[in-house]
Parts: sequence; C-alpha cells; structure tokens
Amino acid sequence: MFLTRLLKPTITASAHCDLPCGVYDPEQARIEAESCYKIIEKYNASSDEQFKTRAIVIKEERAELAKHHIDVLWSDYFKPEHVQKYPEITELCWKAAKQCSKVKGSLDLGEARTLLEMIDKIADVWTKAGGPKATRVQNGVAARA
Amino acid sequence: MEPALWAGDWIVVSGMSRPPRVGEIVLVRDPRKPENLMVKRVSAVADGACTLLGDRLEESTDSRTFGPVPLANVLGRALFRYAPIGRIGWFW
Repeated sequence: MFLTRLLKPTITASAHCDLPCGVYDPEQARIEAESCYKIIEKYNASSDEQFKTRAIVIKEERAELAKHHIDVLWSDYFKPEHVQKYPEITELCWKAAKQCSKVKGSLDLGEARTLLEMIDKIADVWTKAGGPKATRVQNGVAARA
Repeated sequence: MEPALWAGDWIVVSGMSRPPRVGEIVLVRDPRKPENLMVKRVSAVADGACTLLGDRLEESTDSRTFGPVPLANVLGRALFRYAPIGRIGWFW
C-alpha cells in the first residue's frame, strides 16, 4: 500500500479533452421520425392553411433533428470493431441520413414510414452491438418493478 | 488514446530536451485552456508547432479541432507505463 502511494502519479493528463456523455440510443432519432410521420398525417387531414404551414415547418425541424441523431450514432457510437462485425451499419446510417432529407422535403407518408424502418434496422445493430447495456442508464422505475 | 493509453494508466513522462518527433506521445498544455493537460500523439512538427492527433480518430478532440500546438506547450513525452502491471512497457 505504501508503495502504491509512493508510485501514484502526481499529475493527471487527459486524452479526451471533451467529455462525451456516452449515452446513445436510436430511439432519439426514432421519436423525431415519428413526429415527422404524425405531422404528415395531421397535415393531410387538415384544411387549415395556417396549421398546414406550421406543420411543414415543424416537420422539417424534426427531420433535421432525426438526421443529427443518426449522425451522432454513426460518428460517435459505432466503433471500428462494430463496423467490422456489422459492416451493414455504415450503409444503414448513410441511407437513413439521406432518408431524413427526403422526409424533410416531402409530405409523403411512405417516406416517413421508410425512415422509421431504417432507424429500426440501425436500432437492431445497436442492440446487437451491446448498445442498451453499454450506453444507457437503467430505468429506476423498471428496475424496482 | 486507446489502445496505446487507457484511462487510469500510470506513466512516466520525461521533460523535453529536444523537439518532439512524429509518432511520439506527448504531454501538452491544451492551447484552449492551459490548465488542462492532455496526452496526444505527434503527427507532424513544423514551424515551432506540432500537429497532435488522438489514436481514436473518430472520437478524439485534437489538432483537427484546436489547430497545431506551439512547441512551448509541449511539456514532455511519454516514456514508460508502470501500471497496471499487465501492461507495463515502453512507449516505443
């Protein structure tokens, strides 16, 4: 113990100067994509021009957020070893990000549905790559139940 | 800086008697916040400054973000890891 104390370094240096929180979940992207889906539904059901204009603005914002969350997963969460094991992830993220742009510019419910399916495929890889355990904080309510 | 350096590694750093060389791991003052000390790998040295990159490019914040670091900020270079025991060894 004395030796450990003696040898303990006196200066601490960091290799990460920005602290990543380490929490990643495709659900973030999915919720934004679900917003797009529902907004398109509401847009189609409405005849209120002002409402429809607002719906478009909000849908575009949400599509952009979905794209951001997919980008973060791709560039920050998925590591070279994940890509090696699940090589499809690169294309999945790339295509999903592009699909976000499509949803942004479209009022076609089918495009929003396609985006949801793509995010679900990313979520599948995230789950297989150990994402839920590696990145999320356990839900206290569920843990007690 | 994984796999070269892991969080919690205990290392010996020597002072700089010469400019750092490409490939060496150096202890530097963060140019954005001098009280922060960082360890990064030297990828280029030119005009009194060195370009530093982390080994995990996709995660690292390094000269791609904060630019080349003046050699005056380089405090030393990593020589030897003495703990944990299983990973004791020199850095070259």
